[in-house]
Amino acid sequence: MLAGVAGGLAESAGLSPIYVRAAFVSLSLAGGVGIILYVVLALVVPDTPDGEPDDISSPATRMQIAGLALMFVALMLILQAVGLWLGAVVWPTTLVVFGLAIAIETSGINYERSLEGVTTGRRSWWLVIGGLGMMVAGLVVVLRSLDRLQSFGVLAIALIVALGGFMIVAGPWLWSLIEDLRTERRARIRSEEKAEVAAHLHDSVLQTLALIQRTDDPKKMVTLARSQERDLRSWLFDENSTDTDSILGALTSAATRVEAAHDVPISVVVVGEASLPSDKQEALISAATEAMMNAAKHSGAAKVSVYAEMANGAIDVYVTDQGAGFDRDSVGEDRRGIRESIEARMQRHGGSTTIESIAGEGTEVQLTMNGATS
Amino acid sequence: MTTVFLVDDHRLFLSGVSAELADSFEVVGQSDDVDTAVDMIRAVRPDVVLVDVHMPGGGGATVVGNVLETHPDVRFLALSVSDAPEDVIAMIRTGARGYVTKSIAPNELKDAINRVAAGEAVFSPSLAGFVLDAFSRSVPVDEDPELDRLTPREKEVLRQIARGYQYKQIARRLNISIKTVETHVSSVLRKLQLSNRHELARWASDRRIV
Repeated sequence: MLAGVAGGLAESAGLSPIYVRAAFVSLSLAGGVGIILYVVLALVVPDTPDGEPDDISSPATRMQIAGLALMFVALMLILQAVGLWLGAVVWPTTLVVFGLAIAIETSGINYERSLEGVTTGRRSWWLVIGGLGMMVAGLVVVLRSLDRLQSFGVLAIALIVALGGFMIVAGPWLWSLIEDLRTERRARIRSEEKAEVAAHLHDSVLQTLALIQRTDDPKKMVTLARSQERDLRSWLFDENSTDTDSILGALTSAATRVEAAHDVPISVVVVGEASLPSDKQEALISAATEAMMNAAKHSGAAKVSVYAEMANGAIDVYVTDQGAGFDRDSVGEDRRGIRESIEARMQRHGGSTTIESIAGEGTEVQLTMNGATS
Repeated sequence: MTTVFLVDDHRLFLSGVSAELADSFEVVGQSDDVDTAVDMIRAVRPDVVLVDVHMPGGGGATVVGNVLETHPDVRFLALSVSDAPEDVIAMIRTGARGYVTKSIAPNELKDAINRVAAGEAVFSPSLAGFVLDAFSRSVPVDEDPELDRLTPREKEVLRQIARGYQYKQIARRLNISIKTVETHVSSVLRKLQLSNRHELARWASDRRIV
């Protein structure tokens, strides 16, 4: 990964480069022999032209691996006997390093690639350089103090060196492992969200579009499109408007129902926020629904407006259309909607009703309910 | 004839509106992205620009802001599928003189364009509702309390708009002239554009959460 020594050696021996790197790290702990060896090899061994490996060896057999492992152990023992040794930490560190190498190799993670990914970032380069610097500095100190053999200091330095080596070997791998997990999680969340959106669109928008294609009546088409628009909008922007406990939610859902039944668009505007005891709210909403029904059914107006204002302990709901208007006296006895469903209902719950209608200009029903709390 | 420019990133919508307006206005250009729109509007100087709120590259507010910096006489009417309060308020505060939703009937849209061309303000029922709501909630903390409150007459006019009445009907219902209705609405527009920014911004975001 630096001069390509480990990769080259590994290739000719038929091993994974990571084991060769682990060996270099371990040998480095043995009095810096690994580093010296690496540098010497880097200078002596000729470069292989890129993309043209000079000989492709078959993967090493078990016997070959065992032989190489024995050679490595023997070399380590010789170095220990000679005294190029950093003390008790070398063998454990060697075990750790090789354990990691095996873990990385068998985990199937592309170590080379992830390392590249890490080292292309500027901050990561500094990490690697910092790690190497630490290692070199540690070794220099160790070599100079070898004859004094102050075991504590040497041990501490050896630990730092081992840690530096560990960071260099395992850091990118850990990083890539975390990255992989994160990417996987993000992908899963995305796909779940996508599935949810698809399900909703299928149940609502696609169904409506299919219905529109089967409809000949332009008025019906407009109603379908409008109710779908309202539904989609509440799903996208404001989950609360589908909450029928609130005045806004209740009026909106009533408007949607009337709209669908009579093919007349109804707009709902609500100002302020307040709540009513449930019986009063129910009466108010039912009366308002009845007024919307009347406007949609009888006025002939192209649209109906609903406006609710909540202030000073009262809620006013106006249902307005600019349709035919009517004369109360000429309304037949069979149409009991206004008197019973609206006026009597409001009165029973302490509310009041004002109806203003001018023939040819339109009708406005004002419903007032007291006893609201904000 | 009043000249109109259209900005919308939905081509289908552009051609639809353009056809709808062709007999009453001179559609002098259209654009489907923010940067081109700003350059073209500066070049052709239309009377009224119909601008969509949501567009890639900064949205309608960017178009309004950039053009008004150099050409304060161009008038904007925002047109959007969104009815979200923060969108409405943002457009008005950058300088649009009105806001209507895309589901508006063709004759009402024409009416709105004429009104904006004449220098008046256009409030849809829902925008009138938002404004009433915003001003009824905000506690005046401004140095200029006049900007932070609506007069009873202004409130009454907004209520009538929210109830779906046209200016002509409002004038008759309140026994005032149409001109007076227009004056009230323009004054509300001014207050909306100039009053305490934090209050309105907070209101809009609160509305979104609540």
